[in-house]
Amino acid sequence: MKNLWFKRLLGSVTVKLIGISGERIINELIRQRLVIWNVKRMSKNEIIFQMFIKDIRSLRQAIRTHRVKVRFIKRAGFPSWLKRFRRNIGIFIGVFIALIIIIILSNMIWKVEIEGASPDLEYKMVKQLKEMGVKIGGFQFLVDDPEGIQRKLTAMNEEVTWIGVELNGTSYHFQVVEKEQPDEVKKTSPRHLVAKKEAIIVDYFVEKGEPVITINDFVKPGQLLVSGLIGREDAKQKVSAKGEILGKTWYTTEVEVDLTTEFELLTGKENKRTTIDFGNISIPIWGFSSAKYKHKQVEENKHELQFLKWKLPISITNKTIKEVEVHEKTYSTKEAKKLAQEIARKDLQKSFSEEAKIIDEKILHEKVENGKLKLLISYDVIENIAKEAPIIEEERED
Amino acid sequence: MAKKWKQKIQRWLTKQLDLPEDVMMDFPRITMVGQLHVYIENHKGLLTFSDKEVRVLLSQGQLLVKGEGFVIKTIWPEELILEGKIEQVLYINE
Repeated sequence: MKNLWFKRLLGSVTVKLIGISGERIINELIRQRLVIWNVKRMSKNEIIFQMFIKDIRSLRQAIRTHRVKVRFIKRAGFPSWLKRFRRNIGIFIGVFIALIIIIILSNMIWKVEIEGASPDLEYKMVKQLKEMGVKIGGFQFLVDDPEGIQRKLTAMNEEVTWIGVELNGTSYHFQVVEKEQPDEVKKTSPRHLVAKKEAIIVDYFVEKGEPVITINDFVKPGQLLVSGLIGREDAKQKVSAKGEILGKTWYTTEVEVDLTTEFELLTGKENKRTTIDFGNISIPIWGFSSAKYKHKQVEENKHELQFLKWKLPISITNKTIKEVEVHEKTYSTKEAKKLAQEIARKDLQKSFSEEAKIIDEKILHEKVENGKLKLLISYDVIENIAKEAPIIEEERED
Repeated sequence: MAKKWKQKIQRWLTKQLDLPEDVMMDFPRITMVGQLHVYIENHKGLLTFSDKEVRVLLSQGQLLVKGEGFVIKTIWPEELILEGKIEQVLYINE
C-alpha cells in the first residue's frame, strides 16, 4: 500500500467531504480498514482525501448515517486512464492506422522510370522488372536492393552494356546504356584492311577490295592486307574493303596455380531469418531456429523503412545463413599443370573474339615454387587479323 | 478502581520483567522527523483535524499537535503519519 505504483495501478479518486463531522467519518473508514491518504482540511466543513476507487461503495455505506455530502473530484491512475482511453479510442486507432498507411505507402514503389532504352528494350525491361516485383504498387522490402536488381537485369539483357539503378524515395530510376550497333555509315565509307597484329597469313576471304598478301606471308601490325583502291593504275576507285583474313598469331601466358587450395561447398542447409531492427535492437519475426554452423555464408538484405521522405530507424532484414563445408584439395604437379593449362586457355579465349581457334599450345617453362606451380605457355591461334583503316589521300598519289 | 489496580500491576510487571513499555501498557509511540513528520502509533482515533491543529485520542487522554499546513499522509486504524510544520506536541489528560 505504501507503494506509489500500486496506487497508480489500482486507480485512486480524490474525495471531498462536505459536512461538520468529517473526522468521525475518517475514523469510521479506517475502522473498516479502508486505505485513505493525503487527508487535508480545506475549510471549516470541507475535508479532502484520496482513496482507492474500489472502496467507493464502502464510503457510501459509511456516510449513510451521517449528514455529509460527498463529491468526487478527480480520478487518477491506470483504470481511469484506461476509461479515458476507451472513450477516445477512435482517435487513437485513427492516428495509428494513418501512421501505418503512411509507412506502407512510403515503402511502396510509385514510379518506374527507364531512360536511354529503345522502345522494345524498355518494354522487355518493364516485363522483367514486373517479374522481379518492381512495379507500381509493389513493396520495396519485397524486392532486391538496387545492386541486386542491377545484377539481375544486366545478366538478363545481353544487348545492354550497363544499367544504373537508383532508388529515389518511392521511385526507381533506370539508366540504360545499350551496346552500340555498328554504324551503317562506317560500313560504306572507303577503307583498307590492315593487320591488327603480327601473324602469318593462313587463309583469306575477300569480299571487296584487292588483296595484297598471299598465304604464308608474314605481316606486321598496321601492314596493308586488302587495298580499298581498285581498278587500273591510273584510275583507281575507292571502295570499302571487306573480308576476313585468317592469320596465325602467338600468345604467351603465365599462369600460377596453388598446389593446395581451399574451397567452400554449400551443404544445402540454410537458415532464413527475418528481423525488424529498431536501431541496434533486432526483433526476430520469422525464422527462430538457432542452428549454428561451423562455417557459414551470410547473405543480408536490409530494407530501411521510410516515413514520407525520411528514413526511419526501423529496418526489415532478411538474412540467409548457409552452411558451407571447407575442403582442402592438394594437386599433384601433373594435375596442377592440367588445371593451369585450362585456366590459361579460358583466359585467352576470353581476350579474343569467338571465331579464334587455338591450334597449338607449348609449355615453355615450368617451375614449382612456394607451393605454387608456375607455367609459361605459348599458344598458336588462328584468328581474324583484319582491321579497318581509312584511306589516306597521299596513298593514292604514290 | 479496578482499572487503576490493573494499571498498577501492569506497571510493576513491566518494570520487574524489563519489557518495553509501549507494548505492555498500550502507550502511544510518537516518532518525529525534525519538524516535518509526526508518526503516531497506537492511536485510538481522530478527534479534530485542521491544517493548524490535530487532536488524536489515546488510550489515556489525548494528543494535541500544533503547527502549520497539516496533511495526514496516511492513516490506519492504529497508526497515522502527519506532515506539515510541527511546532508543538502536547499531552492532554482530563
